[in-house]
Amino acid sequence: MRDQDRALSLAERVLKAAAGADQAQVSVAVSDASYARFARNYVVQNLASVSTQITLTYYVGKKSGSVSTDDASPASIARMVAAARAIAQRVPPDNGFVSLPKPAAIATAARSYYDTTADATADDRVEKLLPLFARMKTSDLSSSGFATTQINTVAIANSLGVRAAFTGTMSGLQLKAIAERTSGFAEFYGPDFSMLDPQAVAERAAMKATLSRVPANLKPGTYTVLLEPSAFAAALKALTEGMGAGDVLEDKDSWMVGRIGKRVFSPNFTLRDDWSHPLFANAPFNTGDGAPTKKLTLIDRGVAKHYVSSTYTANKYHVPNTGHPGFPANGVVEPGTRSREALLASIERGVLISRTWYERVVDPRAAAITGITRDGVYLIENGKLTKTLKNFRYFVSMIDALKDVEFSNAQVLTEPDSDTSYSSVLPDAKIAKYNLAAQTSFA
Amino acid sequence: MKAQYAAGAARILDTANKAGAQYADVQFWTLRQEDVSVRNGDVRNASDVSSAGYGVRALVDGAWGFFGSDRFDDASFDAAAARATALAKSGTKVTDRIPAVQPTEKIVAHYETPMTKDPASIGLSARANMLLTAERAGHVAKNVISAYAFLTIYTTSKEFYSTTGSAITQVLRQAGAGCGVSAMGRDKDVQTRGGPGDFGLYQGGGFEVVERAGLLGIMPEYGREAVLLADAPRLPSGVRDLILDGSVLNLQMHESIGHALELDRALGWEANFSGVSWATPDQVGKLRYGSDLLNIYADNALPLGMATVGYDDEAVKPARVPLIERGILRAFLSSRDTAAETNLPQTASTRAQDWSTVPMVRMTNIVLAPHEGTLASIVADTKDGLYVAGMRSWSIDDHRLNFQFGPQIGYEIKNGKRGRIFKQPTYTGVSPHFWGSLDRVGGHEDFVVWGTPNCGKGEPEQIGRTTHACSVARFRKVTTGVKSDA
Repeated sequence: MRDQDRALSLAERVLKAAAGADQAQVSVAVSDASYARFARNYVVQNLASVSTQITLTYYVGKKSGSVSTDDASPASIARMVAAARAIAQRVPPDNGFVSLPKPAAIATAARSYYDTTADATADDRVEKLLPLFARMKTSDLSSSGFATTQINTVAIANSLGVRAAFTGTMSGLQLKAIAERTSGFAEFYGPDFSMLDPQAVAERAAMKATLSRVPANLKPGTYTVLLEPSAFAAALKALTEGMGAGDVLEDKDSWMVGRIGKRVFSPNFTLRDDWSHPLFANAPFNTGDGAPTKKLTLIDRGVAKHYVSSTYTANKYHVPNTGHPGFPANGVVEPGTRSREALLASIERGVLISRTWYERVVDPRAAAITGITRDGVYLIENGKLTKTLKNFRYFVSMIDALKDVEFSNAQVLTEPDSDTSYSSVLPDAKIAKYNLAAQTSFA
Repeated sequence: MKAQYAAGAARILDTANKAGAQYADVQFWTLRQEDVSVRNGDVRNASDVSSAGYGVRALVDGAWGFFGSDRFDDASFDAAAARATALAKSGTKVTDRIPAVQPTEKIVAHYETPMTKDPASIGLSARANMLLTAERAGHVAKNVISAYAFLTIYTTSKEFYSTTGSAITQVLRQAGAGCGVSAMGRDKDVQTRGGPGDFGLYQGGGFEVVERAGLLGIMPEYGREAVLLADAPRLPSGVRDLILDGSVLNLQMHESIGHALELDRALGWEANFSGVSWATPDQVGKLRYGSDLLNIYADNALPLGMATVGYDDEAVKPARVPLIERGILRAFLSSRDTAAETNLPQTASTRAQDWSTVPMVRMTNIVLAPHEGTLASIVADTKDGLYVAGMRSWSIDDHRLNFQFGPQIGYEIKNGKRGRIFKQPTYTGVSPHFWGSLDRVGGHEDFVVWGTPNCGKGEPEQIGRTTHACSVARFRKVTTGVKSDA
């Protein structure tokens, strides 16, 4: 029996035990994740874990109780049901709750499971790293990062008949190549571990780390920037964090308020939500409630079109249920026509940003962010990377920044977000005006 | 607390030993988190999350392997021990490495976090109604668009066993509560005021922590301030003397001192994700981190501390360790391995989020030693300045040097008195310059043990519970009022 079938069977078993509820939902999340973390060109933490989390939400009218456990024994399930029922009977109601989702057709997931990832051993992960360490040493570089392989399963069953289950694999490698005063970053994410080419990742990181021996100063100001996908993913959160129905209709502090239907960005900018994109290994349903996830064009050639909703927010605010967990979980930015190299070559004077850090939305209505660059910032002169720069603090309104943007023709899967665990499929972004407001004293 | 897992532990340690581990330990965890949150008159969440599992560490030729599992049959115990050992062995494929330290002590002990009010004595209805009453108190005007309140109770039981014969049992308790109000201004701008602290009051202990947060008492004031903020001007840019409320100062300590003094980060182990540190072990005894008023110590036995334990997750007993004395760097937050590599003291700061995650160096309890004066007296002593409170956004670089903080509210200070309110009162600085400008540290009157329940670090990311106890403080000539679209 496949992982998702086992998980769904367990969810149904718990649901059956909760038969007395007005409504009930059971979710089962199963994880088998391994990481080989390295620093200074050796493995400093080599770890793995397996876990199962069962969550029952029990409704008595508009009152609910939610209980989680990782113990699937009959006695534990009985305790869970009793505890959830007790909470639901005692707490005041949530008047915003209308109903759990009703059954609806869920599309078949694209291929998301690879044996090469699921069967990878501790030795397999470390052996991928050995040539990477060797490459670092040839350039007198240190390193920090990890190689990971994961199997993730989620199943949802509710008392109205919803049944949804999904298993996917994911693999990744992140590498920060570290020279005495500079560094370079490169990464790979994908569901198939066999596609991971550590040499390619190592070469790119090493090239960037060794571009200069000493990082240079650059007068703070507004520059044309080329954001690599990792940096663009962080900046894009300024928009996606405000694209849930709750952000727009309840909190009212989203950049979308007053802008839906209007041209806000460059016609080059189209943001879709598409779980079936071949680079994803994503579930075709909302992993929070089991409703099918609709494919949406959220920003269409610069025009703000849609926010996303879950069953809860859709019912509460009388808007269509898009099957999302409060944010666009499957973001895809449409690629442009020119290669990354061509975009780089088109910049007379600008800055390439690999990655950012501690990015925060400081004004959600303006989608204004601040953050710090890290792990490699480079001066572009006459279409070429010419030197490594010290890091910058930037202050940018993404509403303004994406009015003049061009994307590369190559999309990659980005690192799962640490808050939501969802990735995006993104190209490089050339942005005409980016406010690099202050420079640090180091690279 | 009666030990439940001694037999399972013996099987795991024996299996690891037979598989080739020269040392192994296993920690069994039983975790429980109870949450209630309310918003705009509705109970949005009432949940009770529990989890039980164990994490096995195996050491082979100086390389660690870790495996976490929530499966409790004998076959799973054997598999966990075997996989931890196999992970350790695979790390030995890299020959050029610094070997980990093999623990040798045998420790048998028990510890429980003291509490004065058992959460079990407060029913769910009472918890929810307490929050709803507090939340209602925040709706002080028509332009209040939302209000919220929440509480969390954490209970963790641990049993640690090792091949050296250690057997340590612990029951750790923490709790927290917070609330806030959002109001919309005439220009549709939404501003939020909430707390106490940066998110809420989080401390070690039982339900008395929730009561200490005093939500019902502070909500009307948060409502009043949110309404004023919604139509308040932005803070004009300028260099000002800056007074940080404890709700801001504790997060400033967290970001620009606590993280910077994690020894694994300073040694480069966390460079890819959490970053590195501008402070390095070779600078101990020499580096001036701040003014003479900057006295920071680690104390993982601190009463009310969120990270207070009897022993950490590699069986090290807490001690009070000075980290910065009169502004000079003295030590780091450490693990056995990092302390051994640098010959610096151990601080019992090795922690895992839970049974599924590997123990690592974490920011635990740090304290800014109180000095003298109340907040009121420091305001009265300030001719031209700004007092800021509550947290909205914060950002710092991966060397822990260049930061920007965005508190919720700023009060202009003129001639020793609070004046106008400003929204988005941002300030920026560079760690040693900023702490070097510290010229007043408040006394015990405003000293609070502020905890944070959600500090992220590691890959996969682990969430840790930390404490940064402090009073209030004043800093001279700070850059404030940074524009987001400058």
